[in-house]
Amino acid sequence: MSNGRALDPITFEVIQNGLASLVDEMALTVMRTAYSGVVKDAMDYSTAFCDADGEVIAQGLTIVLHLGSFPDAVAAIRKKFAGRINEGDVFILNDPYTSGGIHLPDIYVFKPVFATEQAGGRGPVKSLVGFAGCVAHHTDVGGLVPGSNSTESVEIFQEGLRIPALKLFDGGKPVEAVFDFLATNVRLPEKVLGDLRSQIASVATGERGFLQLVARYGAGELRRYTNELLDYTERRARAEIGDMPDGTWEFTDYIDADNIPDGPIAIKVRLTIAGDIIEVDFEGTTKQVPAGINSPLPFSKAGVYGAVRLVMDPAIPTSSGFNRAIRVKMPAGTVVNPVPPAACGARGITGFRVMDAVLGALAQAVPARVSADGDGGNSLITIGGYDDNGAGFAFVDFMAGARGGRPGGDGPEGVPHPGANIANIPVEIAEVEAPVRIEHYGIVPDTGGPGKHRGACAQVRRVRLMSGEATLQLRSDKRFHPPWGLQGGLAGTPSQNTLLSGSGDRDLRTMCQVPMKRGEVILHLLAGGGGWGDPLERDPQLVREDVRNEKLTVAYVLNHYGVAVDPKTFEIDEAQTRAVRAALRRARPERH
Amino acid sequence: MKKKTGNWRLGVDIGGTFTDIVLTSGDGTYVSLKVSSTPDDYSRGILEGTLALLARHAVDRNQVAELVHGTTVATNAIVENRGAQTALITTRGFRDVLELRRLRVPELYSLNYEPPKALVERRLRLEVDERIDSGGNVVTPLDEKSVHAAIDRIEGDGATAVAVCLLHSYRNPAHERRVGELIRARLPDVYLSLSIEVLPEIREYERTSTTVVNSYIGPIVQRYLASLRRRLSSAGLAARLRIMQSNGGIMSAGAAETMPAQIVESGPAAGVVGVYHAAQRAGLKNVISFDMGGTTAKASMIEGGNRSLTTEYEVGGGISLSSRLIKGRGYALKLPVIDIAEVGAGGGSIVWIDRGGALKVGPRSAGAVPGPACYATGGDDPTVTDANVVLGYVNPEALAGGSVPIYPERARQALKDRIASPLGLSVADAALGTHAVANNTMIRALKAVSTYRGRDPRDFDLYAFGGNGGIHGPGIARLLGMKRVIVPPSPGVFSAVGLLEAEPEYQFVRTLIGRVDSLDPETVDRAFSELEEKAARFAHEEGVDASRNQISRAADLKYAGQNFELTVPFEGASWSSDSAERLARAFHAEHLRTYGHNAGAEPVHMVNIRLQVRIPADFAQPLVPAAAGNAGAPRDRKVVFEGQKAPLSVPVLATRADLGRPVARGPLLIEEYDATVVIPPDCGARLDERQNVVIEMA
Repeated sequence: MSNGRALDPITFEVIQNGLASLVDEMALTVMRTAYSGVVKDAMDYSTAFCDADGEVIAQGLTIVLHLGSFPDAVAAIRKKFAGRINEGDVFILNDPYTSGGIHLPDIYVFKPVFATEQAGGRGPVKSLVGFAGCVAHHTDVGGLVPGSNSTESVEIFQEGLRIPALKLFDGGKPVEAVFDFLATNVRLPEKVLGDLRSQIASVATGERGFLQLVARYGAGELRRYTNELLDYTERRARAEIGDMPDGTWEFTDYIDADNIPDGPIAIKVRLTIAGDIIEVDFEGTTKQVPAGINSPLPFSKAGVYGAVRLVMDPAIPTSSGFNRAIRVKMPAGTVVNPVPPAACGARGITGFRVMDAVLGALAQAVPARVSADGDGGNSLITIGGYDDNGAGFAFVDFMAGARGGRPGGDGPEGVPHPGANIANIPVEIAEVEAPVRIEHYGIVPDTGGPGKHRGACAQVRRVRLMSGEATLQLRSDKRFHPPWGLQGGLAGTPSQNTLLSGSGDRDLRTMCQVPMKRGEVILHLLAGGGGWGDPLERDPQLVREDVRNEKLTVAYVLNHYGVAVDPKTFEIDEAQTRAVRAALRRARPERH
Repeated sequence: MKKKTGNWRLGVDIGGTFTDIVLTSGDGTYVSLKVSSTPDDYSRGILEGTLALLARHAVDRNQVAELVHGTTVATNAIVENRGAQTALITTRGFRDVLELRRLRVPELYSLNYEPPKALVERRLRLEVDERIDSGGNVVTPLDEKSVHAAIDRIEGDGATAVAVCLLHSYRNPAHERRVGELIRARLPDVYLSLSIEVLPEIREYERTSTTVVNSYIGPIVQRYLASLRRRLSSAGLAARLRIMQSNGGIMSAGAAETMPAQIVESGPAAGVVGVYHAAQRAGLKNVISFDMGGTTAKASMIEGGNRSLTTEYEVGGGISLSSRLIKGRGYALKLPVIDIAEVGAGGGSIVWIDRGGALKVGPRSAGAVPGPACYATGGDDPTVTDANVVLGYVNPEALAGGSVPIYPERARQALKDRIASPLGLSVADAALGTHAVANNTMIRALKAVSTYRGRDPRDFDLYAFGGNGGIHGPGIARLLGMKRVIVPPSPGVFSAVGLLEAEPEYQFVRTLIGRVDSLDPETVDRAFSELEEKAARFAHEEGVDASRNQISRAADLKYAGQNFELTVPFEGASWSSDSAERLARAFHAEHLRTYGHNAGAEPVHMVNIRLQVRIPADFAQPLVPAAAGNAGAPRDRKVVFEGQKAPLSVPVLATRADLGRPVARGPLLIEEYDATVVIPPDCGARLDERQNVVIEMA
């Protein structure tokens, strides 16, 4: 390798390939066998293989916000079970305050992997060579509301079952007490246990695959290469950072949090690039709040790592080596590093905003690589209750996909926030499986932030409840702080939540939990993506195409882009366009 | 070849560079020809090549009964964005389903990702007032005025193709059918697809996308097939034209015109069909096919004597294994396709060193132009083929019987400059490393169809073909612990041979939702008999009596809440008292086999039923090449193998017929007109009665 150690570059590449396909295979096992929509459709899970020290040597990523969140969980297991980690064990945990968890619905499963090695003159010895891990977002872990991600909880004890690091299997035998506790404390035990089974299958797949590599190379030799993989990843990350300009940049992003007096929440970032290191300091960020949106440290750090990776070569391997080039400072007692008993069930939104704030700072350092702000991460619409036959249901719906304008083009509609690469729930499946009818799902015109490259238009979804009564829970954002533009681009339109009923329409808060009755309709409008670059520089032909395709209207483009389009023929009136654009420019306050 | 009148059949497989043509008589032997493809109008190349081959073997044009064709015309229309101007009619409130897709994208670390452009622009996605609920009940009746308004728009805009997909139409097709009638009446010339005819299956994005793809490529496929038929008949070829489908069956050109979405993986499927039949004849139940060409390597699995089909497919997405994990790169096409995994590594793949100092192969390819460095046609980048030349696997003078000259010094130089020197390796080690990394990249395709699905590749034989399959097959087999590699005769035109082995075949699907233990037997029987009627119509279109139909039934099942179904066979021709129990038992077992666990106590839900019809061939099989050439005594060449300190002097046979006279053990090379087979040291090799080279791995 480039640092001249006696490692064979071919073997290195082969092992790296082997590890990458191993964690992919683990991820595929989960995807195909999981029970709940959260895992299957949202792909809200990740798989990883860690070395014996808990450093991630490969991660089968399906969600960027899990990047780098495994080592803290492995550390908790190694500390608690020092000397008692045996072959055939499987560990489980979800608690952020005792065990490196990232909120209660995310349950981690780890299988320690043992291999036989020749230990000098003492003959063959079995030793721990690593951990196969899988974290998945479970449909329910008990607590205040179905789904266990209430924004309304004020302390973690309301959020469901806390699982410290425990043995789920002990020497190959299932620990019944743990399964029983779990099944008894969750609303949908079949789904939770089903998903857990697929996680167990996944770590077994990981163990099998890693042992094949051990058989081929020997545990000691393999370890030398996985160590090199960590170093190699670090070198790649440092090389990229080294190419960025040195300096310090600041950015503050917000969560509306109109459901609590502490809102809005400020996420303050001070980002320093010095040589080949990035330091991100969150001093000044809002103190932890009495609501379920405090983000445990491992999750917040994952947000920082994820944002930095977005401006780098995507081919850098996903290993803990990457994190070595990034220093994160998050003061204890803030929403990005809460202390017990802060609630964190709905902290996903804080993770998204950590990424956005870091990107806002990076946009100043490397403007050609960062796009304008988008929808702020997926909104969550949860309708839970009992259908007319008395059977419980939990309809968990995701709305996402209005990205900001990019340096290279418009923000695409239907591409989710980079933090959570989720899928939507098919309308037909939703209506078969839950007592709901979806009445509208589509793009809303005139909502993307104006720019040379405009933001994506927002989407709307209207869901009607078809059964007696239920609890509606919303987690959304970007109403009072809509997606920001960059380089002269303007903000997108704000989000909206309206409950439509026979007795009149009622706007709901961005985050709330309210009863919902038969026949009522929840309308959620996502925010539109921010624009990138000056809208008056937008190519009039692109404006015309947007009008033809009914994404922008004639009156809107005249006001915002200064382009005059004939509503019938879609011809551009060039003279009028020149005149209007000139007038709009004159009317502007001085910028820069 | 014995000449039998009126019973000649042609297989024609079109690739980017070459059109392969295979001609067979009734006696089971074939002859072949490779000609350049004519991308401006592929039918021209087909006709010229066909006439040349017929003339060479003195076969009269009117003696050709059938021409079976594997074509890329459907795929190309999508990849190159050259489909018809297409409109979509859908339920009010849902016209953006097509553009929003399933949201999830295949690139995680990118702020720059752009999804593929919707095949129908927003202004041509038109909504009508109607609504049916998930139980099939009409919530809002169809407002025909809104349909006419949509048709006005289509007329005004000049779209030449229309797709119709209404919510829950798989449950109650009445509205969709009526919309179809209204369009037919007013726009008789547009190409029309209804989702209930293309894919009557739940999940609106996948159903809409599949229907749109069908309409988008419909007019192109129609035009192409018409032109081909015209050319053939004006040249006096009255052969019946049949087209290879993605599912491994063939169908009449007429059927392909109505269901063009069914032929997008036409070419790759043919190779797997060839392997399937060859394996059957050899009595091999478990085989992995490995097809390695210039830019990609493809793998597919035959298990228990069955080809594996998938309906999780996307068209136009380029080559990506990750698409198995995260989809969205292409357009969803939820029709049965032979499950083929593909990676961007082939002979032309470029070898490079990344910023961190790691050696990589592909996915960038030198293609035919500029080509590998050793072709000396302008390429400076080292490729896998260059490494194979340096190692001695590829003839250092020329390929394809002398038509492509090779300059080994160029290969050596490119590897030295770009790889060996920067990494501090010898050129031979850089070449060995390239070969090894290529193998390790390609095994991801094999793993994707085996270990990723819970199957152990060691239980399978490897069937290697394509221009480079015989060179890399043994190395691949060794990595996966596979014991036997089989290289069929004429590996370079093997897909065209596969075309001649395929039989008319089709799979019909219909959504039928419910717990299997509480399904209404009459509903199930009625649904199956509807599909049987469709199968009878299929036979009729193929010009065959429906009594020859071989029918098999299956059901897509899942546990409540699961979003992936597993397909299990449905025994018998109708629902019986123990059907529910047998289905559930089969599902629990299949779940355990595929995923390593099941939940035997939980109820099983049905999502779809399937009916497959196959019309057994009435032509002679097996196919073997006619009269192999006799090319004289073996020569020796210096060849480098992994794990050997020095190059070995290795005999090179000019034809596989010489295998075993006297050498039958590696190291050994067989160098034929269209491909080379490398038998590594210590491996045994023999020729079986069907002219396969069978390599027993050491």
